[in-house]
Amino acid sequence: MTQSAPALEMRGITKSFAGNRVLAGVSLRAAAGEVHALVGENGAGKSTLMKVLAGVHQPDAGEILIEGRPVRFSRPADALAHGVAMIYQELSLAPHLTVAENIFLGREPLKFAPLGVVDKREMNERARRLLSDYGFRLDPRAVVGRLSAADRQLVEITRATAEARRLIVMDEPTSSLTAHEARELFRLIRDLRARGLAVIYISHRLEELEAIADRLTILRDGREVYTGAWGELSHGEIIRHMAGRELKEIFPPRTAASGEVLLRVERLTRAGKFEDVTFEARAGEVVGLAGLAGAGRTELVEAIFGAQTADEGEIYLDGARFDSNSPDRSVALGLGLLTEDRKRTGLCLNQTLASNLTLANVGALVKGWRLRRTREREAAREYVERLHIRPPDPSKVVGRLSGGNQQKVLLGRWLFAGSRVFLLDEPTRGVDVAARAEIYRAVNRLAEGGAAVVMVSSDLPELLGMADRILVMRRGRLAAELDAKHTTQEEVLRHAALEEGEEKAVVDSYV
Amino acid sequence: MSDLVKRFLPFASLIALCVVISVLEPKFLSAGNLAGVARQTAVITIIAMGMTVVMVAGGIDLSVGSVMALAGVVGALAMAGGAPPFVGVLAALASGAACGLMNGGAVAALRIPPFIVTLGAMGVYRGVALLVTDGKAVVGLPQSFGYLAEGNLFGVLPVPLLIVVAVALLTHFLLSGTRAGRYCYAVGSNVEAARYAGVRVSRYQIMFYVFLGALAGLAGAIESARLVTGQPTAGEGYELRVIAAVVIGGGSLSGGQGSVVGTVIGALIMGVLSNGANLLGISSFTQQIVIGAVIVLAVTFDEFQRRRLETASS
Repeated sequence: MTQSAPALEMRGITKSFAGNRVLAGVSLRAAAGEVHALVGENGAGKSTLMKVLAGVHQPDAGEILIEGRPVRFSRPADALAHGVAMIYQELSLAPHLTVAENIFLGREPLKFAPLGVVDKREMNERARRLLSDYGFRLDPRAVVGRLSAADRQLVEITRATAEARRLIVMDEPTSSLTAHEARELFRLIRDLRARGLAVIYISHRLEELEAIADRLTILRDGREVYTGAWGELSHGEIIRHMAGRELKEIFPPRTAASGEVLLRVERLTRAGKFEDVTFEARAGEVVGLAGLAGAGRTELVEAIFGAQTADEGEIYLDGARFDSNSPDRSVALGLGLLTEDRKRTGLCLNQTLASNLTLANVGALVKGWRLRRTREREAAREYVERLHIRPPDPSKVVGRLSGGNQQKVLLGRWLFAGSRVFLLDEPTRGVDVAARAEIYRAVNRLAEGGAAVVMVSSDLPELLGMADRILVMRRGRLAAELDAKHTTQEEVLRHAALEEGEEKAVVDSYV
Repeated sequence: MSDLVKRFLPFASLIALCVVISVLEPKFLSAGNLAGVARQTAVITIIAMGMTVVMVAGGIDLSVGSVMALAGVVGALAMAGGAPPFVGVLAALASGAACGLMNGGAVAALRIPPFIVTLGAMGVYRGVALLVTDGKAVVGLPQSFGYLAEGNLFGVLPVPLLIVVAVALLTHFLLSGTRAGRYCYAVGSNVEAARYAGVRVSRYQIMFYVFLGALAGLAGAIESARLVTGQPTAGEGYELRVIAAVVIGGGSLSGGQGSVVGTVIGALIMGVLSNGANLLGISSFTQQIVIGAVIVLAVTFDEFQRRRLETASS
């Protein structure tokens, strides 16, 4: 494009942790005015590479050049000083401060110069202008800790973009956003690009990269295996490069006849969250729950599971009335909930793979008073094998597994518990392509084995590929029930979106 | 590799400490002195077993010193009123368990942080112990009761040491060989995850505090036997020594980590340190400084290890 040096150039970056080589000589160039997509499976080294760039980690070898000049970042502040900002996958906001205070953290506008008093009014006003420029509907004075995950993500994005002067790195920024918010984000990214910033965008969702990416780098096992203009490779080829093998059937076919009704929900209501929800799920069936974030899907499945209370309505399991008021009873009756946030409500991170996998059914390992370790290991091995959990070591601390493998451990937990009704809330969020395929196959086997599966997902291709029926929620109510075989992403979105105009825009941004 | 280091560091430190002290003062290794160390550390170690369980589950109990005094006083009052020593010990155990039940109940039902609940309880139980005795020691205990603290089985094995071994084995089995133990680590590691997996969190939390309370009661009985009186002021400051033993032994204040073996070693490190210092004529004031420094060092090392692992995994 131009003769001048690229905004960023990383050359031969190598990094090992405890003898384990995570990056093996990775090079990456990001030009100003360009969105550079960085893809790769979990563990491929994307996040480590970006942490090297941010000054969180120091590389063992290799160099970083900003506009052709070599730089050394020994802490995040150094990177910021060079105009390099980053949106992390794990949110890094101060929960007790307000939206505006977070956006301007460390750069607060001051008054009474010598005293350095924070000019709150000015700060709130500037935050309000930024947010409305970006099209984010947020109150600058709201306390961040009370915001939803999606809104916190928006604050994070606003803060980083306000700081970035040369380069901004976004690590899975849409993982908790609604389609509408994602569309605003893409508009913002195009804006940043037009202003001459370089954008590095990490994502698992090839569909959304389609909308914004100019160039593409694929990492695998700590090396870059492909760099080129976006569009040169088909999605299938990209996936093949990422996985190092062909993944023909992301959505494997399922042969399950639907049987009797296992779960029936009648007029279930929780004030302000969901209202008058009635549906049923049969043995052998996968029911998809679509909707924008905030539509009440998570609250609904949590209420069915008994982790939250419902105000009104009834739930029937196997035809018998079931008062869901505590998870232990639900688990005993054969319900399993794979929660949306595996770190908060799923895993005991500093415990072993085996103990996490068996947690919902420790009773099966106990004889008299004794917990039998051999049985625990056998059980863990069985599910490690069935779900291809890597590394296949039951005594591994679960926090050290990749996201995809952690998710498989949690799925294994409910398999081991012998659940018959599976509530899966965003089962593939932050999960790499290969692990996704495993999860899809496992879900199919569940259905084929006579379980009923209710699957909440914001990934529409996934819902269309996996579900038999798709229930669409809008503002806490069931807005439509669609046959997955005969519907389209556009139709699902049309039912999920709120207003006419919004719906049109959402569809545009995704299709 | 680093897991291994972490496992064996407390043990290696204990051995090194013993070697150094016995070189400087050979009397350290005499049977009489070692039995003395066992007696002195027995009370702390017994309570520390229960504290390990509570801390692994993510809780903490600051009231154990007060519980010990109250239980000791209750047992002593029973015996002073004519009950046989056996009944006195049971009374101490039961009153300790009752205190644990109140602590655990408050933590589970009121959802108040255990630090605060037991900080309050520490004052309450101590106050009750002082009230019922009017601040005076309970005297008139049967002579045979002293056997619990001063007796020797077969003339060589100190009775308190045997009790410590029994309690340690029981606690080890509880933590590593039962369903409750598995839940204990899970609740301490991530209470929400445990709840979503169907663990009846409150029930188990209460159970763990009752277990600790009962052990504090037992320790109270042993302390009364040692002093042959029921002292309402017994056990002051013990909570910190007990917590220190757990922490030195690799237990974490944030839960999910800790072991009986580690805690026993932690208690022994502190016991040997103060015994060695006494033998070498180091003042008790200096001892306090040393023990304080050891606690900070142990926790620093633990944190350092944890951070290294975290960076390696990200």
